[in-house]
Amino acid sequence: MAMKGRFPIRRTLQYLNQGDIIFKNSVKVMTVNYNTAGELSEGARKFVFFNIPQIQYKNPWVQIMLFKNMTPSPFLRFYLDNGEQVLVDVEEKTNKEIAEHVKKILGKSKETLEKEEREKKKLSHPANFGHKKYHLRECMCEIEGQVPCPGFVPLPKEMRGKYKAAMKNEA
Amino acid sequence: MSVPRGAVHAKWIVGRVIGTKMQKTAKVRVTRLVLDPYLLKFFNKRKTYFAHDPLQQCVVGDIVLLKALPERRSKHVKHELAEIVFKVGNVIDPITGKPCAGTRFLENLADSENLTEADTTYLSEKLQELKVCSTDK
Repeated sequence: MAMKGRFPIRRTLQYLNQGDIIFKNSVKVMTVNYNTAGELSEGARKFVFFNIPQIQYKNPWVQIMLFKNMTPSPFLRFYLDNGEQVLVDVEEKTNKEIAEHVKKILGKSKETLEKEEREKKKLSHPANFGHKKYHLRECMCEIEGQVPCPGFVPLPKEMRGKYKAAMKNEA
Repeated sequence: MSVPRGAVHAKWIVGRVIGTKMQKTAKVRVTRLVLDPYLLKFFNKRKTYFAHDPLQQCVVGDIVLLKALPERRSKHVKHELAEIVFKVGNVIDPITGKPCAGTRFLENLADSENLTEADTTYLSEKLQELKVCSTDK
């Protein structure tokens, strides 16, 4: 019951999440020109085969276009928000080298990523209760040591509003 | 609240021209890679955009860079032509700057030194055919 295809590991969420190239906010379009034959484009082909799914998974709003056999030399081209274009020559480079180079020139650095994570954490306060989507806990009854949920274990008589009202009426 | 280029979500797009029958407008097809949720594979998803092309310099098949307009120009036209990245039939390799087609450079073809024997025989045959045709007329 193996997965189908040549390198089906590329189609696993774990592999896609391992991509570490997260583009800066100014990168809008990425274009890869490569050739299907020839040793010069070998690195580019491997890059397209292995690394492009990871990049697109981590950067869903960047448009990635692939062009085959248009020019003799393989290259990458990035279109930034301010109109700038970055041309990266990829001839005779392995796919790892290409990925590292791209990460160095246009990827978010570790510090920026950590900063963004911290900012995100600041928005949500862990001590608040609410819907599972936005908060950690929904009700006090979930916590050990607190009064258990009356839905599962009935409350003792003294805590029930019915009993308290009856006692009040008596007195 | 300033929205410098905010009419559209896509500020810069690269696409391929599929139609130029409209006056000063180019129909551009843009493909994006979209993840199929079950197969976890990326497939191209197409979308057509209309772009304003005032000089009507686009031909069907060009690869084109579009820029979002600050306001919508008409009901469907929200982008304008920023530059033609690759002109069809006239692709210029950006690294060397030379014209090329497929995996070959076109520059050196005209030099007679670089012609192989097969090329010379082919060309001479073609020339003979042309001579024969012209004498017939």
